[in-house]
Amino acid sequence: MSETWAVELKSVVKRYNEILAVDQVDLTIKRGEIFGLLGPNGSGKSTTLKMLLGLVQPNSGFVNVLGVDVKKEPVTVKQVVGYVPESPRLYEFLTGLEYLDFIGDIYGMQTAEKKNRIIEYLKALQLEGREGDMISGYSEGMKQKIALISAFLHRPKLLILDEPLSALDPRSARIIKDFLHQLKTQGVTTIMSTHVLEIAQAVCDRIGIMYQGRILALGDMKELRQMAKLPDSGLEDIFLKLTGTDDIRAVVEELLK
Amino acid sequence: MNWKNVLSLMRVERKAGRLIRGRKLTRYRESGFLAYWPYWVGLALGIVAGLLAGIVYNFASAADPEIFTLFQQGALSIFISMPTLVLVYSLVFTTMQQIQRSGVRASSQVPYWLPVTWQEHTLASILASLMGFPLASVVFITSAITILSVFISQVLPAVMASLAAFAAAFMASAITEILRILQVRFIGAVYKSSGRAAVWVRFIGSLLFFLVFYIVYFYVTSGGAVTFIQTIASAQTAAWFIPFVWLGMILYSFTSGLLLQGFIFLALSILFIAGLFYIATLLNRRFGLYEPPAITISRGVYAPRAGFLGKLGFSTVEASLIRKDLRAFTRRRELMTIFIVPIVVILVPLMQSFGQTNAAIPPQVSVLMLALPFLFPASIMAMSLGSLMIGEEGQAVWRIYASPISANTLVKSKYSFIIFFSIIVLAITGIFGFLVYGPSLQATIMAYCEAVFLVFALGAVSLSNGIRGADFTETPRPRMIRLSWSLINLGACLLAGVAILAPFFPYALSSILSEVMPGLTGVAVLDPLLALVVSAVIAIILTVVFYRIALKNARELLAKAEI
Repeated sequence: MSETWAVELKSVVKRYNEILAVDQVDLTIKRGEIFGLLGPNGSGKSTTLKMLLGLVQPNSGFVNVLGVDVKKEPVTVKQVVGYVPESPRLYEFLTGLEYLDFIGDIYGMQTAEKKNRIIEYLKALQLEGREGDMISGYSEGMKQKIALISAFLHRPKLLILDEPLSALDPRSARIIKDFLHQLKTQGVTTIMSTHVLEIAQAVCDRIGIMYQGRILALGDMKELRQMAKLPDSGLEDIFLKLTGTDDIRAVVEELLK
Repeated sequence: MNWKNVLSLMRVERKAGRLIRGRKLTRYRESGFLAYWPYWVGLALGIVAGLLAGIVYNFASAADPEIFTLFQQGALSIFISMPTLVLVYSLVFTTMQQIQRSGVRASSQVPYWLPVTWQEHTLASILASLMGFPLASVVFITSAITILSVFISQVLPAVMASLAAFAAAFMASAITEILRILQVRFIGAVYKSSGRAAVWVRFIGSLLFFLVFYIVYFYVTSGGAVTFIQTIASAQTAAWFIPFVWLGMILYSFTSGLLLQGFIFLALSILFIAGLFYIATLLNRRFGLYEPPAITISRGVYAPRAGFLGKLGFSTVEASLIRKDLRAFTRRRELMTIFIVPIVVILVPLMQSFGQTNAAIPPQVSVLMLALPFLFPASIMAMSLGSLMIGEEGQAVWRIYASPISANTLVKSKYSFIIFFSIIVLAITGIFGFLVYGPSLQATIMAYCEAVFLVFALGAVSLSNGIRGADFTETPRPRMIRLSWSLINLGACLLAGVAILAPFFPYALSSILSEVMPGLTGVAVLDPLLALVVSAVIAIILTVVFYRIALKNARELLAKAEI
């Protein structure tokens, strides 16, 4: 296991009954890298992300995170990872402040440090004044902000973010993007999954495109363009060509009939 | 009014209601016949009941002709009181369904953005509330009286009573609909005005509501029913000006030959039902989209607290999990009902036995009554909490899975919460029991000790089953534990409880025998201290074994970590 890898997956397979969600995936992600995991719905992205945290057990293969075998020491891995799932369900009976306080305690943060960071994040994401309300009264965007803060709060070494910017207002989305770049300079690795390809193109150092449980393409924008043989195209065209879903015009014409 | 819309909406609401009963949501299919089983069963039981009553009547009237007149009068009096009786029953049952379906609303509010009128939505909601047990009980009653009426030659009054019963059920459901909308709006206003105290207002308000409701429910469904029918039959005509008895007054008027009066009450009833429907529609239009305001619990500068739990030896993670659960049980309405159980367990038997306990029963036997306040509430609390503690996490359980929480920490915090709460319940109900039943100091100490043994053991048994059978499904309603595991837990707790209390059975038996039959020789009163020691040993063994099983189950749960 190289010290340079934050994440290493070897021949990972995950099957849900007859559905093959992840099929022989090999993937390595460098420390301090922002990695984008893209793919159509049901391509195995979320399952792959969950396997990194031990939330889903692979049927076969090997998952190593920051030099730790996830299967053997899941609690050690969780201690250094910040995670935001797709549509995170929070404890809605707690206030935003109580929720973050709970998260700080769960990750063993010191009281003073916990207090300072919670106040800073609430201020940055404009949740001040609403932190004492029960989460059940929050909008989706506010809930997403709480979920993001809870992932950042304990300063993890690896961030696993599934659609992190969904429902966020433009200002907050920009803050999060810039913040991820700053964390990268501090050596924090980020793996994010998103369907907003502009965000992936703007934020990620490398991108992996999953399709039917396999990694179809992997590399930076330049490498992806070469693979798709689309030298001047954006990520959207590359994605559609590689995943074989570029028959958009025919579909639209069919719908208009 | 588009009746197709009404029927489609009803189907959605009823399907959501049926899903509450714990069916699998994946690959969900149901047969039309089985989906409507309550009505078939109600109909079949009603026919059987009517036939049996008719056969009994035939035999009895053949033996004594006077029975014929008596039976006819009695039946007529029941027919006349039937609509009011059905109204009250339906009101109780539809309200109960609304309480259970509080979580369904979110998933069945699609009419708000579909091209559906408020009249259609309101009518569908009223009819959907009526379906299920309320309608099945009306089907049972009406089929029974119709069949019976053939034997006693009272077919016309029976058919009229049946039609009136259905109208009464609709009336009850419309009232429930009105109360539901008003309650949502009223609660919103209370939250807004009570500010930071809103969470406590909600907690105490919900407890009081459930308490009153369950007491009424137990009264109506127990011995109070017969008295209730008698009261209705005698008081209905005197209370003719109250709209809720107008349906009964129609029957009374027609069977008494007062045709004009009958038609007047018929017209008034139709107007009243239409009025209820109009009000429900109006309220839905006005408040149907109303969302209660957010509850603000804290304001001002954030200052993390060191916490009392830390001083008790809990780690930061354990303490934070316990604090989180404490907030869940005082803020989530579906979890608040758990606090009603110990109160109802004490109150209902007490309501029925007040003034009888110490007078007629020998003192030694009355000691057994201590089980009511001492053993049952705390044990039931431990059992209920244990079975729900993991499942109550719901879909937010990913937070537990994704956090650095070990199985040991999870089980310790959950188990401590169960013990902590059950002991508080025991302390309160024990003091209550001591004041009401006035047992000796020795009996009180014994009862307290036994209750503590039960709490520790049943808490461990239930937690182990609660982890194994945890159900994190939240739609249409939080399930928390799978039905099969809930039943397994009930059986396991029953066996564990009997095992712990078993050493006291010979003591209790010998005490009762020596008291009730003093002349009986050879009955030596056993030493209760010995029983207490044996009981403690059994409880400790059960606690240790099941705590370990809980740990094993928690390790599997966290390793599997799938919602």
